[in-house]
Amino acid sequence: MSETVSTAVENPVETPEDENLFVFVPLEAQASEHIAAPNYSYWRSVFRRFFSNKVAIAMLIISGFIIVMSIVQPMFSGYDPSSTPHINEFETHFNWPNATYWFGTDKVGNSLWDVVWAGTRNSLLIAFVATAITTVLGVVVGAFWGYSKKADVVLLEVYNVIYNIPYTLFVMVMMYILGRGIGTLIFTLSCTSWLGTAYFIRVQVMIIRDREYNLASRCLGTSTWNIIKHNVLPFLVSVIVTTVSRDLPSFISYEVFLSYLGIGLTQKTASLGRMIQDYAQYMQSSWYLFWIPVTISALISVSLYIVGQTMADASDPKTHMI
Amino acid sequence: MEKNVILSARDIEVKFKVRSRVLTAIRDVSLDLYENEVLAIVGESGSGKSVFTKTFTGMLEENGSVSNGEIWFEGEDLLKIKNDAGWERIRGKKIATIFQDPMTSLNPVRTIGYQISEVIMKHQGKSKEEAKKIAIDLMERVGIVDAAKRFDEYPFMYSGGMRQRIVIAIALACRPKILICDEPTTALDVTIQAQIIELIKELSKEYGFTTVYITHDLGVVANVADKVAVMYAGQIVEYGTVEEIFYEPKHPYTWALLSSLPQLGIKGEDLYAITGTPPSLYDKVKGDAFAPRNPYAMKIDFEQEPPFFQITATHRAKTWLLDPRAPKAEPPKAIRNLHERLSSMVGEGGTYRG
Amino acid sequence: MADELKKGQEPFYTDDQFLQVKNMVVTYTNGKKKFEAIHNISFDVHKGETFALVGESGSGKTTIGRAIIRILPLASGEVWFKGRKISGKIGKELDKFVIRNMQMVFQDPAASLNERATIDYIVSEGLYNFHLYKDEQDRHDKVVKALTDVGLLEEHITRYPHEFSGGQRQRIGVARAMIMEPELLIADEPISALDVSIRAQVLNLLKGLQRDHGLTIIFIAHDLSVVRYVSDRIAVIHYGQIVELADTNELFKNPLHPYTKSLLSAVPMPDPAIEKHKKLIVYNEAVHDYSVDKPSFRQIKPGHMIWANDKEFAEYMKQEID
Repeated sequence: MSETVSTAVENPVETPEDENLFVFVPLEAQASEHIAAPNYSYWRSVFRRFFSNKVAIAMLIISGFIIVMSIVQPMFSGYDPSSTPHINEFETHFNWPNATYWFGTDKVGNSLWDVVWAGTRNSLLIAFVATAITTVLGVVVGAFWGYSKKADVVLLEVYNVIYNIPYTLFVMVMMYILGRGIGTLIFTLSCTSWLGTAYFIRVQVMIIRDREYNLASRCLGTSTWNIIKHNVLPFLVSVIVTTVSRDLPSFISYEVFLSYLGIGLTQKTASLGRMIQDYAQYMQSSWYLFWIPVTISALISVSLYIVGQTMADASDPKTHMI
Repeated sequence: MEKNVILSARDIEVKFKVRSRVLTAIRDVSLDLYENEVLAIVGESGSGKSVFTKTFTGMLEENGSVSNGEIWFEGEDLLKIKNDAGWERIRGKKIATIFQDPMTSLNPVRTIGYQISEVIMKHQGKSKEEAKKIAIDLMERVGIVDAAKRFDEYPFMYSGGMRQRIVIAIALACRPKILICDEPTTALDVTIQAQIIELIKELSKEYGFTTVYITHDLGVVANVADKVAVMYAGQIVEYGTVEEIFYEPKHPYTWALLSSLPQLGIKGEDLYAITGTPPSLYDKVKGDAFAPRNPYAMKIDFEQEPPFFQITATHRAKTWLLDPRAPKAEPPKAIRNLHERLSSMVGEGGTYRG
Repeated sequence: MADELKKGQEPFYTDDQFLQVKNMVVTYTNGKKKFEAIHNISFDVHKGETFALVGESGSGKTTIGRAIIRILPLASGEVWFKGRKISGKIGKELDKFVIRNMQMVFQDPAASLNERATIDYIVSEGLYNFHLYKDEQDRHDKVVKALTDVGLLEEHITRYPHEFSGGQRQRIGVARAMIMEPELLIADEPISALDVSIRAQVLNLLKGLQRDHGLTIIFIAHDLSVVRYVSDRIAVIHYGQIVELADTNELFKNPLHPYTKSLLSAVPMPDPAIEKHKKLIVYNEAVHDYSVDKPSFRQIKPGHMIWANDKEFAEYMKQEID
């Protein structure tokens, strides 16, 4: 074999077997269509993103703990706001937090631990139910509102009128009229807030409505309802989680605020707001009575908000794609 | 005539961190840029052509870094510059870039005049009045009619083609030595594209700058380029003068790019198409990156990366087909007599006649 | 041709009248302002041909395609398909007829597929809408066949759009349209957003489908070199007006309208010797004086129509004779 003179610039291939390497290999067209990466799953990606955020996990634990305590503890505490068994035992009043009473006792000798969890339970109940009503109504109406140009004309007028009524004032007046209580509070909080959610959803839907994949669905004869269900709603997961994470703390705050003013929950119902109002006067003396309910209500609001926001970010499909 | 090398890139490697993985976008690229010449870098998405030129101006994204190599320009290694302040001397002043989308290259809330003047005042230290005069002059030079009046208008009042002219004006405001044009006409209509290309050509003669064109359109390359570098999967696979690349290409990818042009399609027959998609650059590539899609692939293409084979003093290609041991391979029928076929398709003045 | 079909009467049309656009006007309203995007255009599409609509941005070519397939309404004029009037208000039966026989492929592979749906759902969408399958197995087989016909693999049905490349996504769009077995396919810039080497794949695919299924294609594009390869007849559109219409060979050999000439001159040829010596023809609208002598769409020779007024027409006739 004669010496091969290579015109290569860098290291030439030199070993003898290489002659066999210079043969053509047939092209496999199909092989290049194959996708090597593992199957993508939306929810798995969502949770992977969520749990990669340590702060969110911490907040999830905190809010989880508070929610569980507020459900479970009142079941066993036997606390009843109208009964005051220790009212005449002065030495049980105003006890600072100690081994027996972890949060101390209040002015009538009840364990603050019991009172706080009972109050938190009511706050959470109201907030979750009001949020659920607001969100479901808001999403259903908002999706149609955004998609149908005819509905838009009517609903926009309704929205403009109602939106200009100051929400706080409206809620206060309604509570005066309807009277205090859990049911009336839930009704009042959700009766116009769903419109705000609907408007927000409408805007998102309008952005998506004229994208090419929706035009394609129209060309294929897909009904409006199916377009909303398959093409629009899945993209709203992130947006819906955002509004929920905003509404929950907001409603908790409203309950606290209204009860503070004395038009939220009745005397017979445990309430964080009333506690804060009652014990504000002790800020200098038995300040644990004031600060513990404040801390709990702040903690639950903030932790739910952070969990919600992280979830919203994780469920946005754009963050999953490279 | 010996031309000066104005910029020399050697053994460049660029990596990107994407979540937990590493993408090697540029794998060992060396290139010399000759003064007052036009270099066209041709490639498709993922080839790395944009990333490569971003290394000249330090404009790689946050998660990207040049892990190896040197870029010699005016006696210094640009890759030794570590912070933004250092790049200020080069970016815009010595090496300017214009991008594809004139919509997003301009600030929508500032007048056109302000945007040009600002650059002049900053880099040349002129006063506001002097800068305005220079700016209006530049605007006229790039073909804006009624420049003095349009000086105070906002970008949305301009058409796409006019906006791109302004972007060119801003890029040239500081008389850079090198102008990098990253797909400057892809978003424009074909008639406007032709005008913009003409404009850049005239300006390069008048202002004397070296041009680097990044594009995937071979028609544009044929029009503007003196030298052409064909990129695939983060490497230059063929480099030569524009005549060598079009009339005597040697790399199968270049053959495929040329053959798949609709101008060369024969009615009733299928167009030459490349199957599959480019490889993922997250994993190390074994052998020739083009092998899985290469109808001229040999066993060795899957085993070992080919070296560059020098064909003429200016022409080199990175393919085992040029090794003396390789069997003879003819380029596809469609491009064997490219010039004759295309000449028969044009009328006077180069107008397409089909 | 009767405007109203009598009961039981079969619609009558010749192959040359497969699709007819008559005096189409399309306007966009922006609040109070009305903008006329398409000014009174007319053309016929013959059965089995590829008819190209060529124009630059703002010409209205996409608008025409969308008006034909009923995504956009006509301000005036009519569209007739297979002997039936399909524009304006039509009944459910006729709507179904249009959807079953006419489909569209969109430009942007990134936006034309629902990112949150699997390929299985995306391709089956049309089948679901009209229950065009016997049972689940039949539907699955139809989907697999549609995918393999466009060069994809069965394993792709569980994947999501973002896992595919642009060329593959565009082929999914074609599969989605072809599974309906339409007789007319409107391809709206199907390759403009793809890489150059991938364009050939999709073009070959469309040509193959036309051969195998006897498909009629309306091909909307801005690239004259592609249009020359793929189409039988071409209409050149400039600002909502067809300025010239002719057989492909005729249009390239004898372009008459100055806009057509400037378009042809601007097409970049992949040959340095040709390109570097090219003399560019620039179109200047001012060459037309339509103040007194109004233009109309006239035939200069069989199959070759041009938009001109009397004076210009006389000049074109002279050029023809020379």
